[in-house]
Amino acid sequence: MTDTAKAKESANLAPLHSDTTPAKWVKNNLFNNIMNSVITVVLGVVVVFLVVQSFGWIAGEEWEIVRVNLRNFMVGQFPSDELWRLWTSAFLLIGTFGIGTAAMAHNAYDDANEKGLVAERPSLLNLLARFWPVLAFVALMVSFSETLPPVVGVIAGVGAIVASRLVGWALPASIRSLAVPMMAIGTIVAMAVLAGTGGLIAMSAGVVALVIAASGLSRRFEGSDPKSMAIRTGGPIIIGAVTLVIVNAIGFDGFGWEDWGGLHLTLFATVVGIASGMPIGILLAIGRRSELPVIKGFCVVFIEFVRGVPLISLLLFSSFILPLLFPPSVETPETLTRAMIVIALFSAAYIAEIIRGGLQAVPKGQTEAAQASGMSAAKIQRLIVMPQALRAVIPAMVGQFISLFKDTSLIATIGVAEFFQFAAIANSQPNFLGKSLQLVTYSIIAVGYWSFAYTMSKESRRLEAQLGVGVR
Amino acid sequence: MLERILRLAIILGILAALYIAYWKVRSSSRSDADEPPPWRDSRVLVLAAQVAALGLIWSAGDYLWANFRARTSDIGLELDFGFLDQPSGISIADNPLNSNAAIREALIQGVKNTFLIIIVGIPLAVILGTLIGIARLSTNWLLSKIATVYVEFFRNIPVLLVIVLTWTIFLNAFPPVRISWLPFGETFIFNNLRFGFPSIVGGNNFGAFQVIVLLGLLAAVAVWIWRSRLFDRTGTPHHRVLYGLGTLVAISVVGFVALGGPFDITTPEIIDRVYVGGITMIMPYAAVMIGLVLYTASHVAEIVRGSILSVDKGQVEAGNALALNSFQRYRFVILPQAFRVAFPPLINQFLNYTKNSSLAFAVGFAEITGVIQNLFGQSRPAPQLLLILMVVYLVFSLVLSAIGNLINRRLQIVGR
Repeated sequence: MTDTAKAKESANLAPLHSDTTPAKWVKNNLFNNIMNSVITVVLGVVVVFLVVQSFGWIAGEEWEIVRVNLRNFMVGQFPSDELWRLWTSAFLLIGTFGIGTAAMAHNAYDDANEKGLVAERPSLLNLLARFWPVLAFVALMVSFSETLPPVVGVIAGVGAIVASRLVGWALPASIRSLAVPMMAIGTIVAMAVLAGTGGLIAMSAGVVALVIAASGLSRRFEGSDPKSMAIRTGGPIIIGAVTLVIVNAIGFDGFGWEDWGGLHLTLFATVVGIASGMPIGILLAIGRRSELPVIKGFCVVFIEFVRGVPLISLLLFSSFILPLLFPPSVETPETLTRAMIVIALFSAAYIAEIIRGGLQAVPKGQTEAAQASGMSAAKIQRLIVMPQALRAVIPAMVGQFISLFKDTSLIATIGVAEFFQFAAIANSQPNFLGKSLQLVTYSIIAVGYWSFAYTMSKESRRLEAQLGVGVR
Repeated sequence: MLERILRLAIILGILAALYIAYWKVRSSSRSDADEPPPWRDSRVLVLAAQVAALGLIWSAGDYLWANFRARTSDIGLELDFGFLDQPSGISIADNPLNSNAAIREALIQGVKNTFLIIIVGIPLAVILGTLIGIARLSTNWLLSKIATVYVEFFRNIPVLLVIVLTWTIFLNAFPPVRISWLPFGETFIFNNLRFGFPSIVGGNNFGAFQVIVLLGLLAAVAVWIWRSRLFDRTGTPHHRVLYGLGTLVAISVVGFVALGGPFDITTPEIIDRVYVGGITMIMPYAAVMIGLVLYTASHVAEIVRGSILSVDKGQVEAGNALALNSFQRYRFVILPQAFRVAFPPLINQFLNYTKNSSLAFAVGFAEITGVIQNLFGQSRPAPQLLLILMVVYLVFSLVLSAIGNLINRRLQIVGR
């Protein structure tokens, strides 16, 4: 009997209805012995007291400060007449990710059905159960809005999520297989709307085009004859370069990130920190396992140094020392850029350790089998070891994402006005100075951080269960 | 930069050409040698890769150093440590050092303050975290739910926010100085600037009394060992905690009486705005420490819970079969085994705690990061100060992980 059949059978054998009544449940779970009864009564009193107190506090406190500073909390000092960029990029991201994730879910569903596994079609209700903290936070924020546009925008956003999920599910299989490249392109376009088409955006567009072309062409031209090898290696580079030139030539003016702020900047800094730390981290992890003492030594020293000092000291480094490391002829980059360089290196060191764990989890036999079949070292890493290692570390990477999300609050200390910083800024405004409303602003900030981090940690647990990490 | 790399590449190229020529000559002279050509010889490739890596790292470092020197000499920054003897120009709360004291002394005081946060907070975090971890596994629904809410709340907000929130709550919850809260018959002082607790103050013969207590401690250890040996040999109940503590207390009391009361208990008082007697701490210190303890305890609780769940179910059942009550089961069966699993990740949490203590400056407690940030504000040379800061934390991390590894080695079962 297969495992699934067993699972089905045991599901059928479970009692149809349990015979616990509420009274029985209370007796079993709250008052099953004297000790527990005492604990229940004492804790019950404490909980009721705290709940009453906090409701009293919420009702009695002035929430005007949140209403006035709502936009500051969300997007900082982003100019009003440029706000359309934020809305456009948000809708682009919602659209492409909604379609992309729904398409991937449909692919997985088809896959599972083909293999005869139990698969359930993900419903919107399911999505709501998974992401309720974030949705609740957005709803809370919208309830503070004094004007109509944010309310309309958020309602339209929810509509867009639903619509894009439905569209993504309904797409034909041939388009659905392109979900990942589509999401990558959507992200780049969304970024280009915000930051313009020059510089880094053009470069990342080029890199993404290169990667997509490389994976596409290597699937099509598999042979080892010179012609397909030339296409396989040359093609992606040409496509990447052409994309870079085209995107650069579009000449869409953007909006530098020095004026970004609030929750938007916090989320952005986290994503950039992880995304740029990832490739460096992979290299460091491979380097640390190298048999060459020089390379290994360098990687070990770098990783252990970064992990041994607090992030705040690295941020101080970025604001006091990093400007001194650029050649005198070059103008030093702005505070946020320097902070992002340091955050990328910081997360790279932590990611390296996570990936090293994943690499160690890949059985040695895999490498030896690959060597025996005559693969080159680079190919072994790329095709055999890395895919297995990266799959094993996905939950840990989400954990790192959460902790970086929380750690970005530290860039407030070097004077970047991100989400956390606005709690203090709001209280130093003339209207609210000396009213000691810190508790109000900090609790709103806490709800914000909590809703995102909690959602992600639940997702990582779900992924862990799904991937069966640690369960063999 | 480019020029440097080019130069390096040329040198390496010449070296490679020389080696290839050498190989050609040698392989032609010895016809029987089946040595591979250099570009297939793994020894040569390994060496070449390392030389190239070293060259790259070295030239990058050299390039950055050259930029650094150029920029620092532009702004006239001296790169020596002579400034450490200059007056600091900062004052540290709760400390006799004034702004005329040398920077060196201010830094040492900062390190001491960091140490104070660590040494008090880590044991508290472990105790609280263990209790919450056990509470999460309680059969009492309410208790386990409250513990879960605690863990999920503190794990998912930034530690900086926890510290600032604690500080804000203390600031609002405790009264100002002139109407300080004096619970338990004025033996404690709580206000939003400072907390005071009763303490002891040495009188006549206090030094002698300390020696006696130390001797009592040694005697207690001896008694502990004796009871354990006895238990091992004959199986009589050892009661070693009871015996050991009894010995210590008895010797201390005898010493106390014989020396005619070598110490007194003092309670803190505010006389003319000056705190007299007792032991006091400034509110930011308490806020930082408690904030860090609350945050770290949530992580410790998860570790403890995981380690308890990792203990084989049969162990618990065996404990039940021996009619141990739930306290005995935890004390003698579950926790000793769980602790062994929990210890390595706990060391990691201690290291995180140490690093997170650097956030104390956010509420104005002058530990080492705070002192150095203040000195930055006095435009003291940043590179040297930052180097000191990083070295201090590296030393703390190294010492903590060394101690942790030492204990860990003792804990692990040998031969499994």
